[in-house]
Amino acid sequence: MEIKNLSKRYNGIPALTNISLSVKAGEIHGIVGANGSGKSTLLNILSGSPLIRETGGYHGEISFAGNRVNLKNCAEAIRMGIGMVHQEFALLPDLTIAENIKLSREHTHKFTDRLFGPKYSFIDRKRNDESAARILQKLRLHLDVDVKIINLSTNTRQFVEIARVIDRTDLKLLLLDEPTAVLSRDDGLNLIAVFREMAQNGLGILFISHRLEEMQQICDRVTVFRDGAIVSSYEQGEISIKNLARDMIGHTVHKATAPKREIKARPAISFQQFSVKMPGEEINGLDLTVFEGEILGLTSLSGHGKLALGYGVMGMYPTGGEVIYENKKIDRMDAKANILNGIYVLPDDRQALGILPEHSLADNIIFTGNQIKNLFSINFGRPFSGFIDRKKANAHVHQLVRNFEIKCASLKQKSKELSGGNQQKVCIARALTLNPKLLIVAEPTRGIDISAKEKILQMLLDINRTNHTTIVIASSELDELKRVCDRIAVMVDGKIFKILLPDASETEFGLALAGEEGTKNEEF
Amino acid sequence: MRLRQRAEQLFNIEHIVPVVFLFLSFFAWQVSGLTGTFVFNQVLTRFIRDGILVLSLIIPVVAGMGLNFAIIVGAMSAQAALLFVISCQVAGLGGILSVIFLSIALSVVLGFAIGHVLNRVKGKEMIVTIIIGFLANSVYQLVFLAGFGTIIPVANKEIILSRGIGVRNAVDLSMYRNTIDKFWLLKIEGLEIPLFMILVVLLFGGMIYYLLHTRFGREVKAAGSGSEKAEVAGINVNLLRIKVIILSMVLAALGQLVYLQNIGMFDVYTAHMNADVFSCAALLAGGASIKSAKIRHALIGIFLFHTLFIVSPQAGQNLFHNAALGEYFRSFVAYGTIAFALIINVKRENM
Amino acid sequence: MKNFSIKPPQVIILIFLIVLIGLAYVLQMDLIVLFNESLIKLVMNGVLVLSLIPMLNAGAGMNFGLPVGITGGLVGLCIAVNFRLTGFSGFFMSLLLSVPICGMLGWLYGLILNRVKGREEIAGTFIGFSVIPLMNYFWTLAPFQNRQMLYPIGGQGLRPKISLEPYFYNVLDQFCLIKIGGIEIPLGLLAFYGLICLFLYLFFRSKVGRAIIATGENEAFSKLSGIDIAGIRLIAVILSTILAGIGICVYSQSYGFIQLYDEPLSMYFPAISAVLIGGSTGRRTYIFEAVLGAYLLQTIYLLTVPIANQILIPEVTEILRTLITYSIILYALLYRDKRGIVH
Repeated sequence: MEIKNLSKRYNGIPALTNISLSVKAGEIHGIVGANGSGKSTLLNILSGSPLIRETGGYHGEISFAGNRVNLKNCAEAIRMGIGMVHQEFALLPDLTIAENIKLSREHTHKFTDRLFGPKYSFIDRKRNDESAARILQKLRLHLDVDVKIINLSTNTRQFVEIARVIDRTDLKLLLLDEPTAVLSRDDGLNLIAVFREMAQNGLGILFISHRLEEMQQICDRVTVFRDGAIVSSYEQGEISIKNLARDMIGHTVHKATAPKREIKARPAISFQQFSVKMPGEEINGLDLTVFEGEILGLTSLSGHGKLALGYGVMGMYPTGGEVIYENKKIDRMDAKANILNGIYVLPDDRQALGILPEHSLADNIIFTGNQIKNLFSINFGRPFSGFIDRKKANAHVHQLVRNFEIKCASLKQKSKELSGGNQQKVCIARALTLNPKLLIVAEPTRGIDISAKEKILQMLLDINRTNHTTIVIASSELDELKRVCDRIAVMVDGKIFKILLPDASETEFGLALAGEEGTKNEEF
Repeated sequence: MRLRQRAEQLFNIEHIVPVVFLFLSFFAWQVSGLTGTFVFNQVLTRFIRDGILVLSLIIPVVAGMGLNFAIIVGAMSAQAALLFVISCQVAGLGGILSVIFLSIALSVVLGFAIGHVLNRVKGKEMIVTIIIGFLANSVYQLVFLAGFGTIIPVANKEIILSRGIGVRNAVDLSMYRNTIDKFWLLKIEGLEIPLFMILVVLLFGGMIYYLLHTRFGREVKAAGSGSEKAEVAGINVNLLRIKVIILSMVLAALGQLVYLQNIGMFDVYTAHMNADVFSCAALLAGGASIKSAKIRHALIGIFLFHTLFIVSPQAGQNLFHNAALGEYFRSFVAYGTIAFALIINVKRENM
Repeated sequence: MKNFSIKPPQVIILIFLIVLIGLAYVLQMDLIVLFNESLIKLVMNGVLVLSLIPMLNAGAGMNFGLPVGITGGLVGLCIAVNFRLTGFSGFFMSLLLSVPICGMLGWLYGLILNRVKGREEIAGTFIGFSVIPLMNYFWTLAPFQNRQMLYPIGGQGLRPKISLEPYFYNVLDQFCLIKIGGIEIPLGLLAFYGLICLFLYLFFRSKVGRAIIATGENEAFSKLSGIDIAGIRLIAVILSTILAGIGICVYSQSYGFIQLYDEPLSMYFPAISAVLIGGSTGRRTYIFEAVLGAYLLQTIYLLTVPIANQILIPEVTEILRTLITYSIILYALLYRDKRGIVH
């Protein structure tokens, strides 16, 4: 497979820029990169994912086995011999293991084959089950193939997913997106061995992983992605974990880091063995203490849990473990109770969860404050309570709009018409209206232009310095975290892996994100 | 894991609902005082009449499209075909064949259109099919009440109302009635078992079973399990759904033809009414759910549901001296079963 | 109000309406009488249409389970008639009785709807369908004493159609009737309708009302903002049900009969169609959309009767009405989510 100058944009935002790389038959080619570096997008394009086509397709040349190809959908990619093992399993939950593995390729009775053609021919259940069991054995697994997928553990599902793809005899190129992410170390190594064997038989493998150690062990070549472009490429033998880690993060543009401050050792909130079951971003056994008045950064590779903290605290997803706030254990993660106690969460998915798009920006700003804390409301007596005192509300909103330079046509403009940056300002203004003691913000500057980014970071700093609000920022922008945070906690696999100071080196961060080197938390 | 699956299998809806129906039917039958033979014969007749209609619901359920209330459209296309052929006065074998051919053609076309529409509303298929059913009913009435005699020329004046426009309320089918109905009639002590027709119904059941165990059937099951995931596996889900609906429509049309020839009298404007609701209720009574349906659900369900149906009025008469109460009961059972299935199933999804 | 744009169904309806009015004029029908009728029909059906708003706003979709509320109202009416209450006291008694009954029914209904999020409409349809045979038991067995309500000798239970003439037929319609030339304006009726509109308007400006709208607009946001989604939806459903009960009382007093048994089955689809005609998209709906839609639909219904009688066959009116009704609903179902409304 040969890729030349591949580019892709999502809504105008570039995800991949001029990517060129190649995978030879029998070669194991690894890809590493931090969040948003474009690696998943690349695999999506190569596997023909409908998402790519729905968001405008791609530009560039892709050649497969010497011929130029245009990947329009999954069926085509499959026909060409490309197989993909997905990060979010594409297994069908109500079907059994055998049915999943042999989907579209079931063994049928020869008799009905001749009568009705392969598609409408009666399935030979026994042969199917045997064939499925055989491929699982190749992965060193012995399972009852008659079990439905919903009854399997995540570990097992990953193996079945892989079995499904490698069962194809016409497979020429195997794409893997974090195949070992959910597996234990041993299972992961087992899998690697199987892949190596398959590569020796001529299969080309392209895979994404964050386990740098594995990359070093098995890959013939490793390419590092950053911000949608390739920054470096190493051959087997030159691969060093430190180099990979450093390349992933790159040089920080702003050398400035937050000045060291005296933070009182009074905990604002502390998590003990906290877990959040958010699909795709699970937190598992988190131990963390956030101190009063500090700005704590929370970062991780995507899917490792940083985004789930706020949601878990507000009860959006099932949680476990203990959370102690203001010296009291929080019994239930109830959004209303938490807001009344001074905790507020700004979600990362602004468009979907952060605003009321059809409401005016003024209404957005005062909404939560009005609903929960009865701010700006006039009460006429029980049934008709809670009309909005427009004058007071408008005065308040007006001041915020001025202070934060929220660009809008009027206070009544619908929030869906504002730009991303201004929407985020509205969200922060809403948080400010509540005057929380603890503010958890996720991805505050995602999808926002440079000037607005500055403003927003400044807003957060102001809130912290002036109101002594404790802030936790979950973000993948290491740059920005270094500038404003007092401490930065790195999460791996749903737990806190390491807490670093903002002036730690890129390599240290890169290694921490990859979960390499050392296994102890460092509590200050 | 096997154990957990086994435990689930024992206590789940699939078994509880039919058992409940069994108890209700038995109790109602005892109260009604009707003889076992009478009830049996009646139920068998219903089995033949409604069998294929209920079977036509199965594949859309497996495909994840829920209960296909639009089978009423399939039934209407059969009736439309019948009316056209009668109005053109084609009799005998040629007539029967034309009806079959025309109704299949019509249901294919309508199925294609409806399939397209349903592809736009993935996730809300059921409410859309109900409304489509109502709408189609209005169109049907418009065509045959107002169109026949005015815009559409009719050769056979017998079927037209006295005022000259519109088809009569009831059309006699004696020329087709019971031609194949009484084939191989087996009589055992008062029980009448029309073997041929039962075999026909079972044949259709067998066909569907076969289809569901082909690659095509697997793809349908996959689409029902998760349409995006099926897409990723290379299945053209949209095309598959259209095929499924067309199949359902054709089966419904054929089923309605069987129904009509069995009754012998064709109530033009009401024969198809409630075909959808009662068929769905029968399927659910057999233990099917909105997400999963098997042949045996259909077959068992018809027996259970129709037994209750038949004995209810008399039971009501004996219990409350008011037959109407028995009728209310069976309406309630029909609608309530569907409502129950909807509520229970969604709860499981949200878990 | 600012985002009122003309969408295809409204264009079609307006054209249809204009054609019908033209036809009526050509056929020299009495437009004045038709106009008077239209005002009465507006309120008669209008309250039922208004009852859909709370659930639409809460994101619970179109209330296909209207029979639940209608049933509550019918019970209220029957009890009032049972005690032979006449005039205004009779009418208001039926309203007063309907409110708590509908409140309870709405509460149950709301609990069920909360369990079937995403499928409220189909579930509501069948819950509505199931309630009707259940109520048939009630109509047959409940101990009503008023002889005029019951079947004549030999029957059991209430009649399917109970005349309101001796009680409070047209009591609201006739109240403050102003005649200007040939035009009759039922002020009392319109005032009552206006009162309900005002109530809804104020309600949706209150804290609870705004919470309902927010929940319908973006449920996840509302949850994150501390709103009790289940409770809010419950309030919306209860309100919708109570309004439906009031709606059927108004309808019945105007129509002159209490219609029991299987009548409610066909009564409520026009209400849903009306709100869609008025511009509702199946989500946040404004009061004036409901009013406009009710008026347009009822006027069309009115016009089809005489025209169809003259030109076509009488049954066609009913068929045409249902055709229009269901096409509109189908259109809305198909195109609702395509307009890029945030869920």
